[in-house]
Amino acid sequence: MRAALRVFAAEGLKQHRRIFGSKLVVFSMLLWPVLTLATTYYTVLPVTEAPGAADRWPLVAQPGRLLAFLAAGALAYTFFFSLVQSAWHFSWERVSGTLEAMFLTPASRMALVLANGSSALVQNAWLFGCFGIAAAVATGTLHLAHPGMLAVAALALLVPAVAWGAFLNSLLMFSRDSAFLYTLLDDPLWFIAGVRLPLFALPVWITAIGLAFPLTTSLVVLRGALLDGKDVGDLAGQFAFLAGLSAVLLGLTALLLRVGERHAQRTGSLQLF
Amino acid sequence: MATALPTLRRNWLVTMRAYQWTYFVGTLATGILTVGLAYLAFHAIGGGRAGGGFAAAAGTADYLGYVTVGAAASMFSVRMVLWVAKAQITEQREGTLESQVLAPARRLPYLIGVGLQALTTTVVEVVVMLAFAIMIGVRLPAPDPVTLLAAFVAASVAVFGISVPLSAIMISVGEAHITQNTLFVAMGLLCGFTFPPGYLPDPLRWLGEALPITSALRALRAATLEHAPLSAAAPDLLLCLALGLAYLAVGLRLLGPAERIAIQRGGSA
Repeated sequence: MRAALRVFAAEGLKQHRRIFGSKLVVFSMLLWPVLTLATTYYTVLPVTEAPGAADRWPLVAQPGRLLAFLAAGALAYTFFFSLVQSAWHFSWERVSGTLEAMFLTPASRMALVLANGSSALVQNAWLFGCFGIAAAVATGTLHLAHPGMLAVAALALLVPAVAWGAFLNSLLMFSRDSAFLYTLLDDPLWFIAGVRLPLFALPVWITAIGLAFPLTTSLVVLRGALLDGKDVGDLAGQFAFLAGLSAVLLGLTALLLRVGERHAQRTGSLQLF
Repeated sequence: MATALPTLRRNWLVTMRAYQWTYFVGTLATGILTVGLAYLAFHAIGGGRAGGGFAAAAGTADYLGYVTVGAAASMFSVRMVLWVAKAQITEQREGTLESQVLAPARRLPYLIGVGLQALTTTVVEVVVMLAFAIMIGVRLPAPDPVTLLAAFVAASVAVFGISVPLSAIMISVGEAHITQNTLFVAMGLLCGFTFPPGYLPDPLRWLGEALPITSALRALRAATLEHAPLSAAAPDLLLCLALGLAYLAVGLRLLGPAERIAIQRGGSA
């Protein structure tokens, strides 16, 4: 356990120095999401003003709530995407030759990949804070059953996100091409997870694929808890699903790490780039 | 020509050998998902209609057509800027910026060669995206061919124009990722790719007018959605050309000093 904690501390320090300590992170974590959010809001605005739109989606009757709905999506998406980004940085360990060194140490492999994702999230906690303050200032948008739901919502975002990040990192054991992460998980991810549209607007088959991505359900919980005043009882089904999905992702991670390491030992691929 | 054509040929070879699918899929996904989002929202939320305010602000009631033309223009602009603005920083990263400075070739023809190659690949990507849009049921009326051609030329000058000062910024600060993406998200909000800029607060709207892509988009939409004759689109076309050429002139002035800074700083881009 102490060894694992040291891995977490070291990984956190490394990421702070390499990525999140830099002032440039304000662009990717705050400026871009805010501008993209405004673009999305204005893009769907004409449709929500159509006659009868409020019958199909009651939320659009109040522009403030529509904005809050999209903002919650942007927040959760930025959170998850920061994990894609740290997985992408993890692939540089291979380029710079330190991936092999990491696998020569006795450090737990699982601790390594978990630390990679969770330190990204801890360092992005300020983003969650900014959102909370913005939502609280825009009165009438934040609608909590009780204050504890804020912590519950944060947890429903954090735990699946860490499992997702660990899973992405374990995938990189097999591939030297990390560009696919960016191409495949940037735009398609917001589309299928209901980041910019309510899930009912998506065709059934897209919703079905979307369920495999924890962001989809995390977002349902986040919006339910923060904007619709739902409590733990109302969201029990989603919690159970998220817990199951996280467990499956972590199980897959453990499996992929083991198979990947054995594969790498046989082929010597960890030092290839 | 002696510089432009070989550059065009070289970039085609690089694309065919190294990055055939990465760029293609990346650009295409963005365009298709933008149209897809608008399509689903239009049907599931709007019930197949857009609000009255849209027709007033956009000059057309055809929401899907409006977004589709915008998405095509967005793919075109992003791809052109990525190629042209990043040409020199890529040379720097690959270690050939010095050779470029030593060679007697001028910058403008070199960048035109890069731009022409980008134009040829992007046209393919845009055509595939438009085919997708038509497949899911977006109907684009027959455009006015002369206005469309003029708008296309003006839009090309516009994106080429803003790429050149951007290239100077990139090589002088040795950074591309933050610079390019900040421009792209700003363009997405200000230029009216997916919604009429009239929705924006006035200061932002004026900021958008400073980018030639905003007027290029108005001309493109006039040609495709409204079948406007050349004379009707002329003010926007002239504004777009004037702005694009102004950016180009400033950019070409900046490139020399930027190259000096880049080379003095050394190879770490």
